[in-house]
Amino acid sequence: MHIPDGFLSTPVWAAMNLAAAPSVAYLARRAQREIDDSRIPALGVMGAFVFAAQMINFPVGLGTSGHLLGSALLAVTLGPAAASIVMTAILVVQALIFQDGGVLALGANVFNMAVAGVAAAYLPYRLWNSGRLRNPAIFLGAFLSVLAGAVLAVAELLLSGVRMGQTVLGVSLGLFLVTAVLEGVITVAVIRSLEAMRPNWVRAPDSSGRLVLGALAGAAILLAVVGVLLASADPDGLERLAERAGIAARARNLFTTPLADYQLRGFGADWLGKAAAGLAGLVAITATTLVLGKLIARRRGA
Amino acid sequence: MHHVVIDRWSRGVSPIHAREPRTKLIALAVFLISVATTPGISPLAGAGYLGVLIAGIALSRLPLWGVLARAAVVLPFSAAFAVVNWLAGDPGRAVALVAKSYLSAAAVLLVVATTPLEQFARAMESLGTPRLIALVVQFLYRYLFVVSEQAQHMRVAAACRAPRVPGAGGGLRFRAAAGAVGVLFARSYARAEGIHRAMLARGFEGRFPAVALARPRLPDFLFLLLAAALSLAVRIGVGSA
Repeated sequence: MHIPDGFLSTPVWAAMNLAAAPSVAYLARRAQREIDDSRIPALGVMGAFVFAAQMINFPVGLGTSGHLLGSALLAVTLGPAAASIVMTAILVVQALIFQDGGVLALGANVFNMAVAGVAAAYLPYRLWNSGRLRNPAIFLGAFLSVLAGAVLAVAELLLSGVRMGQTVLGVSLGLFLVTAVLEGVITVAVIRSLEAMRPNWVRAPDSSGRLVLGALAGAAILLAVVGVLLASADPDGLERLAERAGIAARARNLFTTPLADYQLRGFGADWLGKAAAGLAGLVAITATTLVLGKLIARRRGA
Repeated sequence: MHHVVIDRWSRGVSPIHAREPRTKLIALAVFLISVATTPGISPLAGAGYLGVLIAGIALSRLPLWGVLARAAVVLPFSAAFAVVNWLAGDPGRAVALVAKSYLSAAAVLLVVATTPLEQFARAMESLGTPRLIALVVQFLYRYLFVVSEQAQHMRVAAACRAPRVPGAGGGLRFRAAAGAVGVLFARSYARAEGIHRAMLARGFEGRFPAVALARPRLPDFLFLLLAAALSLAVRIGVGSA
């Protein structure tokens, strides 16, 4: 699900940009360490492949059809860092050329699909990459990548105050589950057909990584997904809990009216002060994002 | 295809096409942030932003209705959410969702349709995007045309191998589609290898020869100033009611 501009409240899209920029900078450094510079065009071609593969429809029954989304396929063939970069590039092109997903919301979309989605796709495979468990692990990864991305997107929309009633949430979560299963089935089917042509398409993970860390991260993603699923299945429950903890009022202020209590002095009209405070906050957030991203990129580059 | 039209538009000639890409990118950011932070868009504010966009489209000599209609691809998604919010008793948000997503999409389209993507990517890079991302975006875009054409062939191949028979053959069609995607993957990979070798042979070392972006000149700064001033005027003047 690509979130367009205008859906997320300012604190949410700014925070997601703040989270996505350093993650992508880090992944870009990692991917550059793993691949030869002159192979960069190949990543672009694989991105174009994911785009084009979406034109090929898989019959799902009841007259509907689905298509490949691609994170898991890229993660097990190119490696996780390169897959994240390719997915990021895909999201950039979708936002710019196809108006599929917003530009301010790009951080959110990149984080949901290219960072968390690819990580969720890769972790099960990282844990069980050989023997009989390999294909189920790839299925699980593809399944989790869709679910993680979708659930994060829903959580961001809810935090932004976009209303989705119980029924709508229920129906869309059901659809996400179906899409996730389908992505798993399609990914495994495509890998089977690839391996019928040449057996070594799927790249074995480099075993130097820390397995425990991977397992922990996988568990964390799973927990977060399940937690949000449960919480959004019963949003009133979440609110009740928050009220009991005495944070509901504060949290609501934090999430819906940024800087509402901080008006700049020296402006005659109330609304002008509010507007100026909002803009100042925005400039501050954007500048911090840019500076942090640059600093981290430079640190990694050094 | 959508991207073919955008690509053709982006190579036109007009005062907007001629502006330095970084100034266009920053102007776009100011416009988008103004729209995004306008609380519950009033008709006046919506009209104001639309007016800024229409002025931009007129200056760019792009077909007005063509641009406005293409930006409407966001509407089905926004409209679905708008209906849900309306029914949930929040009509203000419903209108804001539709208006903001449409205005933002039209603004992005206007800038992308007046800036060739390679220039856009270079501007992104010089404003802090990691070089790897900027490069992969460019290559992705360049091969999108080629690989999409191949995907059309594979789609036909899959349809021939497993024709649509009412009531049966779902499994067969699924396997044919998986085979088609597999072949498309393998061919893309082979194409990537070929391109890799060809570029090595031509001395490519992972960066394009540095054709530096032209320095922004006075008209570019004036354009940025004007675009930002108009966006902020709408934002502060009528947007905060």
